[in-house]
Amino acid sequence: MNFFVRTRKKLSKILKAFFRKRQSRIGIYGPPNAGKTTLSNRIVRDWTGDVVGPVSEIPHETRRARRKEGIVISNSNGNTLTIDIVDTPGVTTKIDYKEFMEYGLEKEEAIKRAREATEGVAEAMHWLREDIDGVIYMLDSTQDPFTQVNIMLVGIIESRKLPVLIVANKNDLPDAAPNRIRSAFPQHPVISISGLEGNNVEELYEKMLDYFG
Amino acid sequence: MAHKCTKCGREFADGSIKILKGCPSCGGNKFLYIRNTDLHKDVLEEKSVETIAAETKEEIMEIKPEIHSEVDIYDRIESIRVLNPGSYELNIEKLAESDELVVRVGNEEQYIVDILSMSKSKKKRKPNDK
Repeated sequence: MNFFVRTRKKLSKILKAFFRKRQSRIGIYGPPNAGKTTLSNRIVRDWTGDVVGPVSEIPHETRRARRKEGIVISNSNGNTLTIDIVDTPGVTTKIDYKEFMEYGLEKEEAIKRAREATEGVAEAMHWLREDIDGVIYMLDSTQDPFTQVNIMLVGIIESRKLPVLIVANKNDLPDAAPNRIRSAFPQHPVISISGLEGNNVEELYEKMLDYFG
Repeated sequence: MAHKCTKCGREFADGSIKILKGCPSCGGNKFLYIRNTDLHKDVLEEKSVETIAAETKEEIMEIKPEIHSEVDIYDRIESIRVLNPGSYELNIEKLAESDELVVRVGNEEQYIVDILSMSKSKKKRKPNDK
């Protein structure tokens, strides 16, 4: 890249930063392995053709918050919404490297993952405080929603008066029970989807337009 | 006075700390005070612990092991507890409140206070940071 192109790019970035209206920044929160990155990837791929980050079955695959800016979501009625999606590390109260060794990681690697995951939780909470305008709270609908972390974290989000959409993920699995999530959080809208298969994501987009617009 | 587990009959020396978390053999949490002369009486005289209790009229002490519920994590002053290298307990409520880090190391009351994290200015981050 030559000097002029680089300078022009830089300049336009600075100008954009100055004149752009701040978009609402939507954080995807939830416990580890709920499918936050899978959903982020789907949203970003559906509307921009890009991806956010890798996914895996080992918990705490996402250990840094990842942001994708300027995603424009629209519906057939012509409503549009421009958002930044922040994919956050899974929030939990206990992280033990031994858990990762059960997935076949070596001890050293597992300890490193645990350290990074701990930093990741701190970072996720930092973002929640500083930089998030709305939350998609993601739950695995095959799991019990009444956990300390879920109740605590939803409480924290509520106390910050942020709008919350609750997503009951993994509805493609036979033991998915989205109604259990509905009864756990009756104060918030709950949408049952499969981030992996794409079931019902249109309803989620509609709700996002409605709720975060 | 020695202690005797009312469930399995195991005996413990006076003031033994072994019984504080319940009987190490059977997990029982009720212990009978017994005189040293009554030690092994159940085996020697084939008496049940109940019979000894009735005969000696000694008190039965119930041990209430400390309940470590997850709730107490939110009463802690530390934001992160390092149990071992690679094992952590996180206080998400504290972490949500501020960036100020207090780290507790191990199960002792040892804390590390990250002064640097507390001295940062409260200036709001620009959206393009990070």
